[in-house]
Amino acid sequence: MGAGALTCLMFVVVALNAIAAAAGLALFAVAIWVAVDGYKLYPISGVSGKDDIFAAAWIAIFTGFAFFLTCIFGIFAALKRSRALMMVYLIIMFIIFLFECASAITAATNRDYLVGNSNLVKKQMLQYYGQDSIQGKQITQTWNRVMEQVECCGADSPEDWILYNSTFKQIYPTYNWPLSCCKRLSSFELQDPAGCKVGLTSTLFTKGCFNYIESVLSRYTWAVSWYGFSVLMLVFFTLVIAMIYFMQLE
Amino acid sequence: MKNSLPSLQLLLIGVDSYLPGILLSTDTSQVDFYSRIYLHPCYKMKTNTVISLMSLMSIWMWTGEGQIFQPELTSNAFLAKVTSNTVILKQPYCVFNQPCPGCEIWLVAGLCSANGTFDALVNSSTTNILSLSPYPTAFNPSSNNFFLTRVGLLSDFPCNQYPNDRYFVVGADGICSGVNCNGVLPDGSTVCFKYLLIDANRTLINSSNWSGNITLPKLLPLQTIYDGLSARSGAMVVITTILCVAAALLLLLFLIMLCVTCCRPTKKDSKQISVMNSIRIPRYDTHNLKERVHPYDNPAYQSDLKNYSTSSTLPKNGARKL
Repeated sequence: MGAGALTCLMFVVVALNAIAAAAGLALFAVAIWVAVDGYKLYPISGVSGKDDIFAAAWIAIFTGFAFFLTCIFGIFAALKRSRALMMVYLIIMFIIFLFECASAITAATNRDYLVGNSNLVKKQMLQYYGQDSIQGKQITQTWNRVMEQVECCGADSPEDWILYNSTFKQIYPTYNWPLSCCKRLSSFELQDPAGCKVGLTSTLFTKGCFNYIESVLSRYTWAVSWYGFSVLMLVFFTLVIAMIYFMQLE
Repeated sequence: MKNSLPSLQLLLIGVDSYLPGILLSTDTSQVDFYSRIYLHPCYKMKTNTVISLMSLMSIWMWTGEGQIFQPELTSNAFLAKVTSNTVILKQPYCVFNQPCPGCEIWLVAGLCSANGTFDALVNSSTTNILSLSPYPTAFNPSSNNFFLTRVGLLSDFPCNQYPNDRYFVVGADGICSGVNCNGVLPDGSTVCFKYLLIDANRTLINSSNWSGNITLPKLLPLQTIYDGLSARSGAMVVITTILCVAAALLLLLFLIMLCVTCCRPTKKDSKQISVMNSIRIPRYDTHNLKERVHPYDNPAYQSDLKNYSTSSTLPKNGARKL
């Protein structure tokens, strides 16, 4: 290979590594956003033991930062035209590639278990809302906040509370649904306690909360999974070019 | 079916004057009324009058302002109108239109299969019917399967008002322990209701019809919700397959690259510059002219000697062009 073509290839490798380093740093930042859980919906996945979306986010934090560092090392190795350094770079990048694959696949798969349909969220709500255990308190707090902020009641509708037996029904048999389902005034008092108790549709929230929960967890998942996938495609392309460059060295 | 109650009583009195054989009974069911007219021997004589009276009555029936004579479900669109153990009824406005100071309206709530039991007990017993079937034991296996609970004073439900949005919740007290408390109904049962007019001495004055059958939905247990995997989304399948293929491809290319670079065949030697490590230059003064300058070294090869004998002139890396 001529010297000019080799130099051109070196610059391509350097440029792709620079882009991959930036993408890895962005993946690091996005994964931190998911792990911090600004919407505070972690208990819904944590209580049922299916919190792999957040586990995948933690893996993505480490792999994103590792991509960043290794790509900078790759720039250095390419400029130095050293075979040994390029070999080290390729091996490390391949290992990080495998971990990031695991993260993206885990997040996408786990999302289907959690919010494929409303059954798991509904069953968890009926079982744990109002219960006196640690999980019960977490779920109660989470659902109260979601119902009040998003203005919804139950998983699909308030009828979930009437159709199914629940811990809440055992503890408070005279109430059809929790008071968080009722509309409130700006002073946080109930707008119409008696109307809400019998189900007057103008005094309580009638839409279900599942759409909101599903949209938030999907947002987390696609942040880790789709963005991780796109970074991996870029890294795949970079590694193929780097391997060609390696073969042309010396 | 909606009747106009005052007109019905007037007609009863009116018909009675024409047909003295008819007994005025407190049971105002229409089937009894019709059968007594048709079976009476004076029927044929007063047929025309009766027919005109009947047509008048039927006109009154269908143009009535909506006075009910039995408990009905509320007409509001409440979400909890019929739950597994509670029911929301209309309040008993204008059910009993007779003057009765101090009277109260009570509700009989029970399984529809116990309608006959209650009617028989009311007709036969003279004891206080309010304590016939206390709520706590009402729905035990061998019990009467009904209970009575107080709705309100008759004077609270006058006939000149007819608010359609007032409601009465059967089962509002939950699982309670009073004799006549408003407790919950059995889960998933078929229930019927009846209003009673009770006076201050706790005797039964009047009663309405039985309501229609109201079937309560059975409460579903939590375990019936299947929370396993429903379906895999398309995105997950795409991501998984493409990433697995990419990882495998990468591994394959990596191994090919290693094979190509490490097991490279010798025809590649032309790219490398072999190092010359020693050149034999004939020396003809080896044995006798060591200390002095060697005159037999050919000066023509001096430059070559410099080129190939010292390390400073040897090429360092293969890529540098000479």
